[in-house]
Amino acid sequence: MHKLEIMAERNGIERRDVLKAMAAPVVAAAMSTLTGCAHGPAATNGVATANRRGTAMSSRPLMTVRIAAAPPQRLGSVPHGVRSVVPVIGGDFEGPRLRGKVLPGGGDWLLQRSDGVLELDLRITLETDDHALIYMTFQGVRHGPPDVIAALGRGEVVDPARYYFRTVPRFETSADAYAFLNRIVAVGTGEATPDGAVHKIDEIV
Amino acid sequence: MTSRPLMTLQVFIAPPQKLGAVPHGTRVIAPITSGTFEGPRLRGRVLPGGGDWTLLRPDGVLELDLRITLETEDGALIYMSSFGLRHGPPEVLAALANGESVDPSKYYFRTTPRFETSAPPYAFLNRLIAISSGDRRPSGPIYTIDEVL
Repeated sequence: MHKLEIMAERNGIERRDVLKAMAAPVVAAAMSTLTGCAHGPAATNGVATANRRGTAMSSRPLMTVRIAAAPPQRLGSVPHGVRSVVPVIGGDFEGPRLRGKVLPGGGDWLLQRSDGVLELDLRITLETDDHALIYMTFQGVRHGPPDVIAALGRGEVVDPARYYFRTVPRFETSADAYAFLNRIVAVGTGEATPDGAVHKIDEIV
Repeated sequence: MTSRPLMTLQVFIAPPQKLGAVPHGTRVIAPITSGTFEGPRLRGRVLPGGGDWTLLRPDGVLELDLRITLETEDGALIYMSSFGLRHGPPEVLAALANGESVDPSKYYFRTTPRFETSAPPYAFLNRLIAISSGDRRPSGPIYTIDEVL
């Protein structure tokens, strides 16, 4: 908690600086921002991905979410696969436009499918450093070579490049400062950790 | 995030069913009559019978909820569902509503397709996360779909 507050305070300064730096180009685009066009000035800073292969899709960093989890509740075989429920007990998140902590009380309703793919179904609440609440959900998939998945199952640290762990987060908030989250499509790259997971989330611009 | 092209999908819609104001917004259902898809690893046609259950939210964002069946050229069936968002400046949305062709870079139209199939050659679709960029044409949308690597 104390650590998070220090982090929030430190980053609060950075955030103001970022906002100040963004202010000038924002003026011209303010109307489009107000009317919901996501192609604001920051969009031009988006990191073009895979353009070399002829796709127009581009993204930019939204935030990194670190989730601390309690031991999984192993429900065993259910009609659609093997179900485990992982309670979320805390965590934090940080990105260029938002930061704060993960509130306890959410969870990830995991389903191991018969084809070896683990389906993720997460619901958590984020609280920003300025006390806005954001409901975040995602669905995703995780799979990889059997030895890698077995190592993850034993709680070992594995290079995330060795398995596929991707999610599509969605957000809901009533806070005006973060309403942009209601209007974006995002993709997360996950990394399993012994006590939870780290998700690097990009906004699709 | 890195991605690579999965396919380009064009769907054709029947006249939309305008259900009007419902508890979560304004509901419009667009039945899908046909279409085609093509990419490096798969191509074929869209079967009639699907649709897009769109919801215009009070904040001006259009939520898309598409369900269609794809049939590959070698006869495999693929169930595709896709949730997405569309929004933009009022004049751009008005032009779209009037059936005009609008440069898709003038609005935000992104979706996250999911796939289900029992066909082994296409089982890779069961295991990937995808994103798409939409281009809303008067006859129906064209989606450029990428696999997230």
